[in-house]
Amino acid sequence: MSTTAIDAHAGHHAKGFLPWILRWITTTNHKDIGTLYLTFSLVMLFVGGGMAMMIRAELFHPGLQFVNPIFFNQMTTTHGLIMLFGMIMPAFAGFANWMIPLMIGAPDMALPRLNNWSFWLLPFAATLLLMTLLMPGGGPAAGWTMYPPLMLQTGDAFPFVIFAVHLLGVSSIMAAINVIVTIMNLRAPGMTLLKMPMFVWTWLITAFLLLLAMPVLAGGVTMQLTDRFFGTSFFTAAGGGDPVLFQHIFWFFGHPEVYIVVLPAFGIVSEVIPTFSRKPLFGYSAMVYATASIAFLSTVVWAHHMFTTGMPLSGQMFFMLSTMLIAVPTGVKIFNWTATMWRGSLSFETPMLFAIGFLFLFTLGGFSGLMLAIVPADYQYQDSYFVVAHFHYVLVPGALFGAFAGAYYWLPKWTGHMYDEKLGKVHFWLTTIFLNVTFFPQHFLGLAGMPRRIPDYNVQFTDFNMISSIGAFGLGLSQLIFLYVVIKTIRGGEKATAEVWDHPTGLEWTVPSPAPHHTFDVPPVVK
Amino acid sequence: MSAQAVSRDGDGDRRIKKSALTLALVAAAVYLGFIVWGLLHGLS
Repeated sequence: MSTTAIDAHAGHHAKGFLPWILRWITTTNHKDIGTLYLTFSLVMLFVGGGMAMMIRAELFHPGLQFVNPIFFNQMTTTHGLIMLFGMIMPAFAGFANWMIPLMIGAPDMALPRLNNWSFWLLPFAATLLLMTLLMPGGGPAAGWTMYPPLMLQTGDAFPFVIFAVHLLGVSSIMAAINVIVTIMNLRAPGMTLLKMPMFVWTWLITAFLLLLAMPVLAGGVTMQLTDRFFGTSFFTAAGGGDPVLFQHIFWFFGHPEVYIVVLPAFGIVSEVIPTFSRKPLFGYSAMVYATASIAFLSTVVWAHHMFTTGMPLSGQMFFMLSTMLIAVPTGVKIFNWTATMWRGSLSFETPMLFAIGFLFLFTLGGFSGLMLAIVPADYQYQDSYFVVAHFHYVLVPGALFGAFAGAYYWLPKWTGHMYDEKLGKVHFWLTTIFLNVTFFPQHFLGLAGMPRRIPDYNVQFTDFNMISSIGAFGLGLSQLIFLYVVIKTIRGGEKATAEVWDHPTGLEWTVPSPAPHHTFDVPPVVK
Repeated sequence: MSAQAVSRDGDGDRRIKKSALTLALVAAAVYLGFIVWGLLHGLS
């Protein structure tokens, strides 16, 4: 541990507002930065969720009710960007910061000052992105995919959006570098790679994906910037450019991005299920190889998002089959989680409920993904509400349920208090019921032909849209329970023991609850 | 990679900085590589 990193924390017990705020701004402690990431992510959950409420309020009825179509498009765009870059990625970065050093027996992240910078870029980038909504011409309205030529028609906000996306990317790349360097260099003696907890493995693989994918997005939006301001024609057809090139670049980032937000959730679920099954994880090595296979395959399937743009038959076949191939390692994981529970001594505390909810509902999202991978069928589903239903089933019960499972699982370790189990269970059941009420009818809307990203629709779609909107309001309001549980747990409650649960495995459970500010100054020995 | 925590003093610190710099260069190369690909695509 560098002397600098320790000295920077000498004042973390200082009293008064200024020392308190300076402590959070200048902190290089992995637990502090983890807390900052998680808090920021929770705020963004409600910001992005508020946008979703606006979208669903407008779609409650056919016709235009509350917002104009341009603002509606800005809402769908910023909802996607905020939820991915502002909410779910920072949430997992928060888990990584808190848990990776604790799980591998390291005193901190390898690059503590870079860690501070990675976090503090985020609030500025997100604020910049949100402020574009107030600029002349409004915010970005081309969808989170930012396709040109529509994106190039954004008003004064355009360069600010591009800058915000760059900042978000730089933050992610720095976090990824930190995770890789920490895991490769600071593991406790005896902790070989194949002894690492699954959460650490999934994050290591995610970090490599981030390193590969984020610069690609940055390159794409830089080219848009030069197209708009420096007379280039990367994507402008009038100047000999190719708008479809951007789609290739975007999805070369965009598909790995899906796994960037879901692999850490796989890792959390792989920690939670063995604890509440009171059995070791079934097929640990297979889980590691399956995660690596998923990550590799995620880099060679990008054009399945683009079947309708036109491509040779051989291209369609390749991208269809490689996409379907992802079902194999994913199936291995689902099987192993189920086999872990088989004949286990199961108990159903809130983290386990979210993990099981993840298992069922993420699989459902995977199935609709297989349907979308079939080229002739995709021609029917493309750009319809079926796609919206599919990716929300992947991202909400996948990534978000994973994050909730992790939050309930480790809250006692972070705060030193047990959370309110009854309220946790109410949160789980309401979230599960309302997410199905929200997103399941969207499959039917898409199959019936309702396009995505429209503020108004034909009256034939009214009933399912009403159901979906009612579900969305319920889903949004249910998250206030989570906020209440988190605040209540921070403020007090039954004291948590060091182990918290019934004999969990892992180094994080060997330190007291709450975890002291500095842990593993002397590396533990792993046998 | 050996399963041994790297000390932050001397060689260990240099090794950590070297890995971080290498990864940063990889990210920069991917970024520039895709822009060059975009240029070549336009020229072809």
